[in-house]
Amino acid sequence: MKLWWGALRAALGLALLPLLRPANAVEPISLGLAIAGAAASALTGIISYPRLYCYFRECCLQRHDQRAAAALQENLDRKLFGQHLVNKVVVKAVKGFLNNTNAKKPLALSLHGWTGTGKNFVSKIVAESLYKRGLQSKYVHQFVATLHFPHAHSINLYKDQLQSWIRGNVSICPRSLFIFDEMDKMHAGLIDSIKPFLDYYELLDGVSYRQAIFIFLSNAGAEKITEVALDFWRNGRTREEILLTDIQNALSVSVFNNKNSGFWHSTLIDKNLIDYFVPFLPLEYKHVKMCVRVEIESRGYAVDEDILTRIADEMTYFPKEERIYSDKGCKTVDAKLDYYYDF
Amino acid sequence: MPRAAALLWLLLPGLAALEPLSVGLAIGVASALTGYLSHPSFYCSYVECCPSAGHRLNATALKVQLDTKLFGQHLAKDVVLKAVMGFSNNPSPKKPLTLSLHGWAGTGKNFLSQILAEHVHRAGLRSKFVHLFLATLHFPHHDQLKLYKEQLQNWIRGNVSACPHSVFIFDEMDKMHPGLIDAIKPFLDYYEQVDGVSYRKAIFIFLSNAGGDLINKAALDFWTSGRHREEIQLKDLESMLSVGIFNNKNSGLWHSSLIDRNLIDYFVPFLPLEHRHVKMCVRAEMRARGYAVDENVVQAVADEMTFFPKEQKIYSDKGCKTVQAKLDIHEDIAMRDTKVKG
Repeated sequence: MKLWWGALRAALGLALLPLLRPANAVEPISLGLAIAGAAASALTGIISYPRLYCYFRECCLQRHDQRAAAALQENLDRKLFGQHLVNKVVVKAVKGFLNNTNAKKPLALSLHGWTGTGKNFVSKIVAESLYKRGLQSKYVHQFVATLHFPHAHSINLYKDQLQSWIRGNVSICPRSLFIFDEMDKMHAGLIDSIKPFLDYYELLDGVSYRQAIFIFLSNAGAEKITEVALDFWRNGRTREEILLTDIQNALSVSVFNNKNSGFWHSTLIDKNLIDYFVPFLPLEYKHVKMCVRVEIESRGYAVDEDILTRIADEMTYFPKEERIYSDKGCKTVDAKLDYYYDF
Repeated sequence: MPRAAALLWLLLPGLAALEPLSVGLAIGVASALTGYLSHPSFYCSYVECCPSAGHRLNATALKVQLDTKLFGQHLAKDVVLKAVMGFSNNPSPKKPLTLSLHGWAGTGKNFLSQILAEHVHRAGLRSKFVHLFLATLHFPHHDQLKLYKEQLQNWIRGNVSACPHSVFIFDEMDKMHPGLIDAIKPFLDYYEQVDGVSYRKAIFIFLSNAGGDLINKAALDFWTSGRHREEIQLKDLESMLSVGIFNNKNSGLWHSSLIDRNLIDYFVPFLPLEHRHVKMCVRAEMRARGYAVDENVVQAVADEMTFFPKEQKIYSDKGCKTVQAKLDIHEDIAMRDTKVKG
């Protein structure tokens, strides 16, 4: 290394020696350094140019990225079964939010519904359409109440940590995605600590949260939603006729008053900081069959209709008389699959 | 080492170019340029400076902004305009300007304080002379009250000595510990100087939801007696507000010496917004996004909001909040129409 460097300097000196005579003011050392410096900075500039850099490493999502919304629509259409309301609301909400260059507050979605109906699945799809690595992305943060905030007595510590975490990450990447799971198990006061970030402030301590997305998942309100769906079914109307407005108002009040909701008496609903309440309807027999079919196909087996029906029949359904909706949604389907396909 | 010596020997002829005269000239020009660049009138167009003592606010610009952006708050507009202009034109005010903004959620309190901050310091909330404090964010733990008091006092003292025209906005006053505000009482008082720092040119704005229900009640009374909203006068509300907030345990000003000593200059009430104001908000938002204003969409979005009280359904529950989100849902209809027209 040293030999190479010494030889270079000698060569440079020799090469520029003739220049010394006519122009006495030209200094070869500084000229050489200047040229080398210019070349180095040009090279660095080319390498760090965002478009090029972002092909190799993960970058924060910039504005005007139309692909995210289109990808989201396509994935939801293809992979999510039986949730026509979710499809509409989530796609419009995320698309409108991403296209809005002047959002006044971060997007806050609250996903409610029966277990196994697809809430985590949808949040995963949203994460994947925004960032290629999905939940593994360093700009997507998932918090599970029972895992990350287990002890009620450490609530002050959790509050401080959560605020610092959110503040730090949004200042690095304004388009961060935060997913809070098991909201019904979260301490009522903890969510109040992030309320300031969801509000209509332009800047908070020099950081703007207006481009971030917050998704809250919970089972609260599931009974109410099921009630509405059951009413529709009993009156002979199709599932697709259920409108968002039918559910939304009933949901908002019941979630607010439910002590287990994690939102109970929280200022989030008080201040209307949740942009959209997204209800997940319970899944019917035909949707369970769709789930089984997709699972079989993803494993590469041949689709046997007989086994499909048997697996779907094995799931338990409620209510007791009508037996329309699956108790666990699409959960435990893959376990049953293993039982029937023994290889 | 020998390499360096050889190189230096090569350069020796080049040193003859260093001439005392040209070097002296270069140094002189450089210092003149530096002097020119650090002159405030040049310097301040690139970096933010504290407004000088003779700086006056532009009354017409402020009035125009308030008229075009703030809907349905004739009382607030009046009071704030007069208060701020009077304060600004006074060459030696006796105490800092203290405004207390009260009202229902979504009626425009933060918005108004933002507009004010932008008129005093051009960068608005991003200015380093405008400080926003949220009770739930900056002072969350009640057991650390003493620490917060000390920090708050130091912060205010430091910033006002750096720039006398500082603006301090305290949001969520109803969530603030009653004792904390007492800590800044000395700064709001009629002192000429406190520890060598004069606070007389600073502006303090307190925002809270306290008294909102009282204001709503008064507005409803006016409506039921068939009188116009614009007929509501400040005096109808002021005395009732002050007592109501003083006695309200959640107010953050509860039994505080702020009201005791009459350190609040103006109580500014924010009336709840009606259906027509919500429509104005929707129209403004559509215009800001560049869509053509479609009355059907405006009507649809305004109808989706919930109103109170239950029978009459006059005032919007959330003021103008969530309008943006609802607009996103109707957006494709709006965009479709824009494409057809455009």
